[in-house]
Amino acid sequence: MSKLNDRVFGLVMLVIAVAYFYGATQFPVPFGGSEAVGPETFPKILGVVLAICSLYMIVKPDSDNHWPALRTFAELGIAVVVLVLYALLLEPLGFILATMLAVGTLCWRMGAKPLKAYLTGLISGAVVFVLFTYGLELPLPLGLLELN
Amino acid sequence: MDTLHYLSLGFGVALQPENLMFALMGCFIGTLIGALPGLGPANGVAILIPLAFTLGLKPETALIMLTAVYAGAMYGGRISSILLNIPGDEPAMMTCLDGYPMARKGKAAEALAISAIASFMGSLIATVGLILLAPLLARFALTFGPAEYFALFVLAFATLGGITGKNPMKTLMAAAIGLIIATVGIDLSTGTQRYTFNVLELYEGVDFIIAIVGLFAVSELLFFIEEKAGKGREMIKINPLKLNWRDITSIFPTTVRGGVLGFIAGVLPGAGASLGSFITYTLEKKILGKKGYFGEGDPRGVAAPEAGNNGASSGALVPMLTLGVPGSGTTAVLLAMLVSLNITPGPLMFTQNADLVWGVIAALLVGNFMLLLLNIPLVGVFVKILSVPPMYLLPIVTMVAFVGIYSISHSTFDLYFMIAFGVAGYILRKLEIPLVPVILGLLLGPEMEKNLRHAMQISDGDWSILWSSGLSIGLWLVAIIGLLMPVIVGPILRKRMQAAKAKIGD
Repeated sequence: MSKLNDRVFGLVMLVIAVAYFYGATQFPVPFGGSEAVGPETFPKILGVVLAICSLYMIVKPDSDNHWPALRTFAELGIAVVVLVLYALLLEPLGFILATMLAVGTLCWRMGAKPLKAYLTGLISGAVVFVLFTYGLELPLPLGLLELN
Repeated sequence: MDTLHYLSLGFGVALQPENLMFALMGCFIGTLIGALPGLGPANGVAILIPLAFTLGLKPETALIMLTAVYAGAMYGGRISSILLNIPGDEPAMMTCLDGYPMARKGKAAEALAISAIASFMGSLIATVGLILLAPLLARFALTFGPAEYFALFVLAFATLGGITGKNPMKTLMAAAIGLIIATVGIDLSTGTQRYTFNVLELYEGVDFIIAIVGLFAVSELLFFIEEKAGKGREMIKINPLKLNWRDITSIFPTTVRGGVLGFIAGVLPGAGASLGSFITYTLEKKILGKKGYFGEGDPRGVAAPEAGNNGASSGALVPMLTLGVPGSGTTAVLLAMLVSLNITPGPLMFTQNADLVWGVIAALLVGNFMLLLLNIPLVGVFVKILSVPPMYLLPIVTMVAFVGIYSISHSTFDLYFMIAFGVAGYILRKLEIPLVPVILGLLLGPEMEKNLRHAMQISDGDWSILWSSGLSIGLWLVAIIGLLMPVIVGPILRKRMQAAKAKIGD
């Protein structure tokens, strides 16, 4: 059993802790002079706590959980990309179309048949759109489907 | 007498038609969420918060709906335990032990009905406990000064990992991460910019609702993709219900014991619903000994853990409502709702927002009856939902999370933030760093800092004020014990729970 995960994570967090602590020392002195507890005191304490935890993780790491195979990783990557694209296209394409694409692709990548997957996306998108825009009066962007 | 007066005030709030409607809706949605394997109450409530928020509900209505979801999810957890042998969330695990064998013997309907009755009894007992205990605790908490509050927050973090938690250092680290994220933004008392890097969106700090939804909902999707749990599992058919009065009376003592024990486990820091259902099950097995046939489909083996986990979930509301310190993931999410509605949780809430607190408590009682009524005849509907394969369900749930976040501010920046939190949540879960302390850190960070400041102002910069009163020393001691317990007692308890889990695998 490798114990690399915890060590690497501990190291990353240690770097963050040091940077965070340093950042706290750079705050300008607030107007009216410094007090016993200024804006930098609490962050300094946190930086120290985080550093101690990171050191503990580096010195006494737990065994690694097994990471997914490369192909699953690719799937995870696809899912994240789909989500980012969903956020990006939500306004230009409109809610219904963007949802059809995003939910459809996710369903499909998770094992559904393509036609069924995109149909699920379309129906769920349309239902939620109607529900929000007319039922709850929280309009969602219509994008390309907008008439006029 | 005061309590009775307030309670009737609460019923006045809870029985308003609008609140009743949202409570009913919450119960229904909650049961659905609880029934779905993999979606626990914390995720469910997290996804619904932005919706409750954007709907512009009144605070009491929003909170009533979400507590109904919470209670419903605890009810729903048993459905997948009994029919699929997959617990919807961890506390429902013990229900598998006898629930699934009962279902296999062709008594699925009885198992479902018994578990609903037991859930009802557990919640009812615990809600009565809440009504009796909460005002006392709130009055006591009024004597807390800033130093005591600071110690109390430390205690909350120290015990959050629970006695069964694996690595207390990781809990602490998670808390530190959450608190660190909470410091981003403009410092409220001096106006200093902290860690904003001149990004306008960061000036107001990180919105914890976005963080919560990302950490819970998006990371759940990623986990599902990894586990390839695309298709649903085969389910046991439900037989027509045959339950007579004697069956119900025979589980009565079990549910009373379970409810009381569960309530205690819920109130105590570091115990929680998982431990509650575990303890009630093992105790029941000990008490009944050879008279029962536990593990082979004993109805009392279904009733005990269900009463226990529902009792614990109501019990967990006690520290959340009275001290503003949640003891579990779901109550932390409920607290987030309160904070975003500009209500400061804690003892003052009982006097300043009496109608809200007592409305919620009364709604818990009302909701309980609704849940019982919903759950026995409508069990078929919930079962149908279970047969929707996760490969369709999870993308839709993720979409709902997107809509919720988007409709708060109509800003796509928030969506990217949410995705980033989702990825971070996935990595943290892979490293077995718990997410709940991160969220609690995000929530309690500002309060914790404020109390530290007040304490130091009172003492004029003398740090020893933090441990100068008997009460604060006591709180620090409990915190230290809370950190040490998992190391000392943890391995034994974990092994036992693991053994119980292994049995489900058969």
